Amino acid sequence: MTSKLHMILATTAIAAASTAASAEEFTDKRVAVAITETISGYNPYADPVVLLGSVWCQVYGCITRYDWEAGEFVPFLAESVETLDELTWEIKLPEGLTRHNGEPVLAADVVHSIEYLGTNPGSGKSYLVAGWESVEAIDDRTVHITTATPDATLRDNLAGVAVTSKALFDELGDGMFREAPFGAGPYMLSDISIGEHMIIERNDDHPMIRAQNPQQIMFRIMPEPEQRVTALANSEVQIAQLVPPQLRPRVESLPNARLETTNSVEMMFLGMSPKTHPWDVKEARQAVAHAINREAIVAAVLQGQAKLLNGPVSEGQLGYNPAFKSPYDYNPERARALLASAGLEGVEVTLSTPVGRYTADRQIAEAMVPMLEDAGFSVSLDTPEWATLWANVQQGNVPFYYMGRGSMIDPSRALHQYFATGGSPRLGFSNAELDALLAAERAEFDPAGRSTKMQEAVVKLVDEAPAAFMWQHEMAWGVANGVTFNPHPADQVNGWEILVE
Amino acid sequence: MLMYLSKRILGAIPVLIVVAAVVFTLMQFAPGDAVNMLVSDEASEADKAAIREAWGLDRPPLVQFLSFLGNAATGDFGMSFKYKVPVLELVLEKLPATIELALASTLVAVLIGIPLGVLAGARPGTVWDSIASAFSFAGISMPNFWLGILLILLVAGQWHLLPSGGREPWGLNLPTITGFNLVDSVLQGRWDAFVSALKYLALPSIVMGTNMMGIIAQMTRASVQEALQEDYVVTARAKGLSGSRVLWRHAFRNALIGVVTIIGLEFGALLSGAMIVETVFAWPGIGNLLIQGIASRDFPLIIGLVLVYTGLFIIVNLLIDILYTIIDPRIRVN
Amino acid sequence: MHTQSSTAAHPGRWARLRKSYRQMTGFKALFGLGMVALLLIMSILSPFLAPHAPNTQDLMSAMRPPDWVGPHVLGTDHLGRDILSRIIYGSRVSLLIAVAVAVFASLLGVFLGVVGGYFGGRIDDAVQKVTEIFWSFPPLMLAIAIVAFVGQGLLIVVIALTAQRWIPYCRVTRAETMALRDREFILAARSLGASSWFVILHHILPNVTLSIIVMTSFAMANAIIAEASLSFLGLGVPPHITTWGGMLSDSRAYISSAWWMALFPGLAIFLTVLGLNLLGDALRNQFDPKLKSH
Repeated sequence: MTSKLHMILATTAIAAASTAASAEEFTDKRVAVAITETISGYNPYADPVVLLGSVWCQVYGCITRYDWEAGEFVPFLAESVETLDELTWEIKLPEGLTRHNGEPVLAADVVHSIEYLGTNPGSGKSYLVAGWESVEAIDDRTVHITTATPDATLRDNLAGVAVTSKALFDELGDGMFREAPFGAGPYMLSDISIGEHMIIERNDDHPMIRAQNPQQIMFRIMPEPEQRVTALANSEVQIAQLVPPQLRPRVESLPNARLETTNSVEMMFLGMSPKTHPWDVKEARQAVAHAINREAIVAAVLQGQAKLLNGPVSEGQLGYNPAFKSPYDYNPERARALLASAGLEGVEVTLSTPVGRYTADRQIAEAMVPMLEDAGFSVSLDTPEWATLWANVQQGNVPFYYMGRGSMIDPSRALHQYFATGGSPRLGFSNAELDALLAAERAEFDPAGRSTKMQEAVVKLVDEAPAAFMWQHEMAWGVANGVTFNPHPADQVNGWEILVE
Repeated sequence: MLMYLSKRILGAIPVLIVVAAVVFTLMQFAPGDAVNMLVSDEASEADKAAIREAWGLDRPPLVQFLSFLGNAATGDFGMSFKYKVPVLELVLEKLPATIELALASTLVAVLIGIPLGVLAGARPGTVWDSIASAFSFAGISMPNFWLGILLILLVAGQWHLLPSGGREPWGLNLPTITGFNLVDSVLQGRWDAFVSALKYLALPSIVMGTNMMGIIAQMTRASVQEALQEDYVVTARAKGLSGSRVLWRHAFRNALIGVVTIIGLEFGALLSGAMIVETVFAWPGIGNLLIQGIASRDFPLIIGLVLVYTGLFIIVNLLIDILYTIIDPRIRVN
Repeated sequence: MHTQSSTAAHPGRWARLRKSYRQMTGFKALFGLGMVALLLIMSILSPFLAPHAPNTQDLMSAMRPPDWVGPHVLGTDHLGRDILSRIIYGSRVSLLIAVAVAVFASLLGVFLGVVGGYFGGRIDDAVQKVTEIFWSFPPLMLAIAIVAFVGQGLLIVVIALTAQRWIPYCRVTRAETMALRDREFILAARSLGASSWFVILHHILPNVTLSIIVMTSFAMANAIIAEASLSFLGLGVPPHITTWGGMLSDSRAYISSAWWMALFPGLAIFLTVLGLNLLGDALRNQFDPKLKSH
């Protein structure tokens, strides 16, 4: 099934090589990356997994990307993304931008890609373009987007828009993703074996590519942490995603590899749905926040590899206020008193947790049970299979759960989704004051002003406590010696940022 | 023979339909569907409803099932929700890996199990018998995932002798002909690929074959012992025929029928074992695919895989019945 | 000459063979009974035997290695729970599931087998068809599907494991019933006007009991492994119930940092299943050497 793809790529590779051969000595080294998630096929719009989104952006090119050094979203495929007025944005494409097969990238492609994302049933990320009134090509290099309400988060959304060819789609339909996966990114799609791996190959012509970037990168699915570390030790892979705390000493002791760590922007929290009893009582929610001994859990279960949160965000994220301290210290007496003041001693609750989804999730939830009981709750623990739990959470049928939420460089979307009235049924939380603060934040285009407004929303949110904010995991990656890779707080593996000796 | 074969194959069709119906019914109980699993965290209910409609999940279950049957009759098993490729194509692509592993496991089981059983059966009551019996009972009682974990830890993790998982190293570049790596490498004269295929096969096939090995050893032991008590064997021995010749000529043939039966009976267990062993060793077969399919509620994929599993099971049993007639001409089919 | 010498050699060899056979059977039976007894004692007396409560956590002493003289003889797990105590309490679930599956499976299987074998005809055809369909599912796949789609819980695990376990009971009792049906004493009872159910209850069932006992031993062994497999895939009983399979599943993430978390529960499963298999084998040799498979 991949032979046809191979043939097309072989011809383009030869074409590319002949143009770039004289330029400089490109390395022919390859890098294999062990990843935790499965790859859902050829369609770049289908997969909501963050890491794979970053892979598709390398193949097709996304309109913007987050620049970790600058700390802001910058144009990636586009030349510029600017606001014309509160509701209108202009995307400019660079002159002479072409795909791997030589065909030009046009404004019509951008319009087509946004339309596909928004309306095609093959899209799993239509939320990205929700609330956009119109998208039109002004000329071959210019696109205008009009939003229904002022939306300062648009550049963030555009970072998820991979631009595919309208002409190829008109010719081949969804088949183009397989038969003609020609993008304009720094890497080209080379092979996909479903459920196993995905291989991308360097596009030597791309301006972001440097000579030491690996010639090929293979993303190999290895769900088990032991497996990833063993493969790293055996030099079967050069980069291993998500090394859990208990395996860090092993990676550190490897002669051929090392650990690279980074913060995550994924907030881990205990969600409490106020639609259900006792979580309709604010004191009960605050009692939970006081009852959990976060320091002990981080020390023992996570072996220190997490950063406690004072709210939904931490340093480096929008809305972080270094002066703001969480009012909820570990204080079982206070928790008991709060629960008693609402007359809820001994109230029965069920804590649900996924298993194997987040670092030590089940173990953490197990450790929380005696702490909650100590505060006067009567707790039973529920560990449904992920598919079941996730479906129920999304429908708002789980009263009390341990969960994570990533993609929070800009926390706006996540906070609206979980805590704004009507944002989603997940918690069913509703507070007019918080709604107003969140709406104000989203309509503010000045970054500094937005941060201040976000901080106000965070203070209100923490006080209302529809969720008890726990920590952000410190993410560790195993990296082979001879390979330079500095992980980012989001799960991204960008070929142009990997260097091999 | 032809009549018999066609009758058996036709007889399998209603079984397959009922199996599909059972699985389909079970799926209706499932809270959560593929749309919740595969669409982003942030999709709205309206978006999800649109996708459900596009995937046909909004129709009544009975209609869904009947339309599935209708399409299946023409060889169309639908598209995988998650991978967006035809189920049949995906299954056919992964099937050789599982069959290769299952055959290798069976081979391991036979190659260890039969000598072990003969050893025990030929000298009952000796130390050899005790050792062989202990080994076979241990094999039967071993939880295979536990054995798999221990072997990965020791052989791959500590001693670095064999790979920890997967099926082939990156960059092997072995063009696919049959999908069986061992066969493909021989056909293309690629000895490096052959050796690598063996290395990757070793641990999973040992783990998967252990239970069957124990059962085969016991079966062989019993048959050999039984055969040695038969009058004609006693007579042959008395006539001065050497012990080992008698053993191989008579006792062994007797045991072989038992072994073939066991293979047939245990093949289903082996395929279920594949679901776990493939998960432990990241073996890219249909067992692994099925576990992933269940986790993401990929209904077309699940049904397709269940039918393949069941069909495989039925085919093996049919082959076993035919094999009987070859080993023992006294047995006639039907 | 030849014949004479061979008959002369015969009794000695046979005696030896039989003796060794008995010894072996004796050992198997002893080991098997020992393991079953141990399982029973552990599960009934767990509160008295276990040095700690199975779910008491002590995060400060998590992942301690085995210490033959210390408070945690077999070490502690990632939450500081005592592994020995958890193995002792875990025996309860293993035993409960094994017994429940064996009871349900034998009730269902024997009922269908005896009815099909005794009445024959259409009833038998129907029973045969049902058996064939359930037999077509690779074992465990049906169980996985049931637990994954219907939900977690002790009862669901029992149902899921029973779904195919009844088949061997049905097959064996059906065959035996068919053989018994035409025997003189049954024919006599029928000619004296005994009802079918009377014959089944008083004449057929007592005669198939031995096979049922033998099969039950194997069924229990099988159920214990199957439960552990389901737990391993994260599809077992809920986590507040301590099970060996659940412990093994937990250990997966710690295998190279805390080998004792994987070794001891695995060993407990292995030895218990080994005991049940040996016991079953000994029983089979004792009662019914003809009963080969299952």
